Formats: sequence, C-alpha cells, structure tokens
Amino acid sequence: MKQRKTQIKPLDIIVLLLLIGAGVYVFYRIKIGLNYKWHWSAMPQYLFRYDEESGKWVANFLILGLFTTLRLSIWGTILATFFGTVMGLCRVSPSLFLRLVSRGYVEFIRNSPPLVLIFLFYFFIGDQIIPALGVDAFIRARSESTQAILSFLFAPPELFSSFFSALLTVSLFEGAYITEIVRAGIQSIEKGQWEASRALGLSRWQQMRYVILPQAVQRILPPLAGQFISLIKDSSIVSVISIQELTFQATELMAATYYTIEIWTMVAGLYLILTLSCSLLAERLEIRMARSR
Amino acid sequence: MIDSDIGEQEKSLGDCIIRISEVNKTFPGGIRALDNFSCKVKEREVVVVIGPSGSGKSTLLRCLNGLEKIDSGSVVIDNIPLDLNPNHRLKIRQEVGMVFQSFNLFPHMTVSENINLAQRLVRKKTKKEAMQTTMSLLEKVGMPEKAASYPSHLSGGQQQRVAIARALAMMPKVMLFDEATSALDPEMIGEVLGVMKNLAREGMTMIVVTHEMGFAREVGDRVIFMEEGKIIEGGSAEHFFTNPRFDRTKSFLSKIL
Ligand SMILES: Nc1ncnc2c1ncn2[C@@H]1O[C@H](COP(=O)(O)OP(=O)(O)OP(=O)(O)O)[C@@H](O)[C@H]1O
Ligand SMILES: [Mg+2]
Repeated sequence: MKQRKTQIKPLDIIVLLLLIGAGVYVFYRIKIGLNYKWHWSAMPQYLFRYDEESGKWVANFLILGLFTTLRLSIWGTILATFFGTVMGLCRVSPSLFLRLVSRGYVEFIRNSPPLVLIFLFYFFIGDQIIPALGVDAFIRARSESTQAILSFLFAPPELFSSFFSALLTVSLFEGAYITEIVRAGIQSIEKGQWEASRALGLSRWQQMRYVILPQAVQRILPPLAGQFISLIKDSSIVSVISIQELTFQATELMAATYYTIEIWTMVAGLYLILTLSCSLLAERLEIRMARSR
Repeated sequence: MIDSDIGEQEKSLGDCIIRISEVNKTFPGGIRALDNFSCKVKEREVVVVIGPSGSGKSTLLRCLNGLEKIDSGSVVIDNIPLDLNPNHRLKIRQEVGMVFQSFNLFPHMTVSENINLAQRLVRKKTKKEAMQTTMSLLEKVGMPEKAASYPSHLSGGQQQRVAIARALAMMPKVMLFDEATSALDPEMIGEVLGVMKNLAREGMTMIVVTHEMGFAREVGDRVIFMEEGKIIEGGSAEHFFTNPRFDRTKSFLSKIL
C-alpha cells in the first residue's frame, strides 16, 4: 500500500490561524472580563489530604468517589457481561418463550430514559427487594474483618443496599446493550459452521460452546470494550440516588466551595484516565488476539 | 498416497442401506425442491448426482442427514428411520458423513482439533484415542505434516481433504459430497478427487453431487440426472456419455462436458 503523505495546504493554515485567534480571544476575555476567581491551588487537597492523627496522606472526596466509580464499573462489567451473555443466548434460542423474554428485556431498557429506570430500579430493588432478602441484617451479622473486606470490595455496611441497587441498575441497563452485541456476534457466524458441526452429530449446546461462541467472542470483543467504556461513563447517573461515586462527590464539593469549573475539569480528567486506560487495554488485547490467529 | 492402485476388479454391492421413498420438500415461498423423490442405494455403491442449478441436489443430501426436515415421505438409513426422534437423528448423523462445497472447517481450531472434536464430544473418545484416529486419517488424505496448522494457512484443496478426514473420523457408513470440488482452483481438484476415488475403491457408500464426469466414469456405479426435484434419468456413466434418452439430459450434458 502507498504511504499517504500529510500535506499542509493553505486552507489548513487559515483554519489553524482562526482557531488560535479564537482561543487567544476567549482566553483574553476570561482574563480581563470573566467574573471568576481561579482556585486551582485548592484542588489537590480534594484528591488527597494529610491526616494529622496518623501522619499519613489519605484519599479525599474525589479519589474516594473515583474508587466507588471503579467498584461500580468493575462489578458492573462482570454482572452486565453475565446478563448480556445469558440474554444474548436467549435471543438466538429456538424457544419462542426465551426469545420473547430477552426481546422484552432489551426493548424495555433501550426505550426507557436511563434516569427513569434508575429511579424505578432504585425504589423497587433498593426499598423493596433488598430489605425483603434481609441483606442488611446478613451483613451486620458478619464479623469485623468480613465487614472490612465487604466494604473494600463493595461499600460500607450502611450503604450496602443502595450500592447494590445501583450496581444492579447499571448492570441491567448495560446488559441490554451487551445482549444485542452478543446476539449480533453469534448471528455473524456463517451458517456453514452450524451445519458442519450439526452434521458431525454435535448437540446444539455443543455447537454453541465449541464452535460458535469461540468465534463470536473474537468478533464481539471490540464493541464489548466500547460498551464497558460506556458503562464507566453511565455509572455517573447513579449519583442521583446518592451513591457516593465521582460525580456525586463533585456535586457535593461544588455546593460547598463553588469552585465549579476547576472541580468539573478535575472530574472530567479522572473519568478520562479510567476510560482511556480501558481503551488502551482493549486495543492491546485486540492486537494480541489478531496476532495469535 | 492418492490414487493407490487397488485393482479394477468388480466390487460386489451389498444390501440396500439408504431407502428414500416419496419424499417431498417445499421451501417457504412455494419452491418444490424435492418432488415425490424415491431412490435406493446399496452398500458400497457410489451414486453420482448431476443436474442443473436449483434442481434439488443439495436439498436431497441435506434431507438425508436431517439438516433439512422433509414434509412427507420417509428416509431410512441402515434401518434407522429419520423421524422426529432425536436419538434417531443423532445416530443417523453419526452414520452419515457430509462434505460441503465451502469446506466449513472450524477456523479457530487446528487441523487435528477439527478432526478430534466430534470424536471426543460425540464418540466420547479419550484425547489419545482420538489423536490416533486423526493421524491415520491425515495419512490417508496425504497431509500428516499439517496436523498443527490452522485452516487459514492451507490451500483450498488441503482444506477440503481435512474436511473429508473430519467427516471420516466419525466412522460413517455413508458419505455425502455436495460439490466438494466446485470451489477449488483447477489444479487442486485432482487431489480431492483422488481421495474420494480411494474412498470409493475401499467400499464406502457414497452419494456424490458433482459435474466431474471423469469421476463418475471411473468410480460411479450409477449416475442420476435430477431436474425440478425429480429423477429424470438414471444409469451408468457410459449410458450418459453414449445414449442418454431424454433431450433435457442431452442438452444438460452438452453444457457440462
Ligand atoms: N433455505 C431455503 N429457502 C428457500 N428456498 C430454498 C432454500 N434452499 C434451497 N432453496 C430452493 O430450493 C431449490 C433447490 O435448491 P438446491 O440448493 O437443492 O439446488 P441444487 O441442485 O443444489 O443447486 P446448485 O447446483 O445451485 O447447488 C432451489 O430453487 C432453491 O432456490
Ligand atoms: Mg447445491
């Protein structure tokens, strides 16, 4: 293939100059005209603070929020992949009942506003189902060390049930999109693969398990990685049900300090760190898989 | 390896192993792919099926191992009726091997994994037993050195020979070939036909959809000319070369010869 050379044309230069001009102008207006005092120097303390008692640096609001976002994202990814795989398999099942169930699930989720779903799930799962299951009592009955592990992995005992309903909400929500990715991946495998394995006497489950899914997974991986990144971003909407993740913490901090622009810039940066590392990881994985073929 | 010279002695055909009677198959859209189709095949017989595109040749083969459901009529293979009983279906699929025009090897598995898979899952063999069979089959199709290769690294002819080995690994009593050489470059057709000829000489019962009349002449016991889901004319390859009875047969043969 011929290497394409990057050529700079007069038009490019004009556009570039205009952009620089606009940038300088905006910066100038902000400098002299904007009624906003910058407080960048206050920002680091919201990430980490010095703990007088122990004499150590410990995580503060935003980093604590970032950890909760991370917990939500990691468990959410696992649960959503589970829902998506099970429902995706139902989508291509020969059973009409299973197809209807999974279709209903996908259409319901994809056609409702996420915010409405959050409230619905939160009040249904969080207020009704989880108390009914006795999760709170169960956790309070555990030993100190078990509770410590649980709060590291999920949330402190008093927030456990709301964390859990937020987690379920995010996973059910993203699971619907993963369902469609899984369905499309399975259906993209040539009919000949089904026929050849059927002619050899494999059962439907064996065909799926040994012939279709391994091939589908390779095709599913790129869109799946994209969906995981969406999950990280979408996890911010659970801030409306007081889960103390990154966006919620930022809202609180903003209400207390009014350092609006700095705080949200920081938060955007923190989300970018999460999502970009996820993209890089996915890219690496794809290259590795492509090489192993 | 290919074309071993088992002498050209007359082989004796055995009892009837495939009985197809009055089979009808209509596809949605009203296309009558098989029209009251009846046919019997004896053990060790090699039947070559020819006919224009859309005449129902593939459908016939696919109905024989249950890839396609028949609307009416009956198919009995080795005394097992092909009906709605899933056990019968599974048994028939084990007794009937099929080779497709497009190879359909599993691209994420090596050659030996392709051949091992059904032996392990369906025949429940140990890995070692399966591997022994696999290696002897690869010897038979003339490519033991490719056991660890992936299908994408093989030529079309090699892929089709692996597909044949994969079907043979189930120790089938009948082999179905659906235009096994049609997707191949001319220089590779010979190696695949060679494997098929050897198989025929070893006494495998075969139904072969192909327009390779040389093959039909060499190992075919009977040639069937199909059109619109029916058998128009049947006989030896010689019969088709010398004096086919119907004009339709003549005009079809003039196109493929
Ligand atoms: N799945 C299907 N759905 C609808 N119609 C079908 C289907 N499969 C085959 N047909 C139709 O049935 C008829 C017979 O098809 P078949 O594939 O058996 O023909 P063939 O003799 O194998 O042709 P070719 O030489 O092109 O392979 C054709 O008219 C075809 O269009
Ligand atoms: Mg065909």
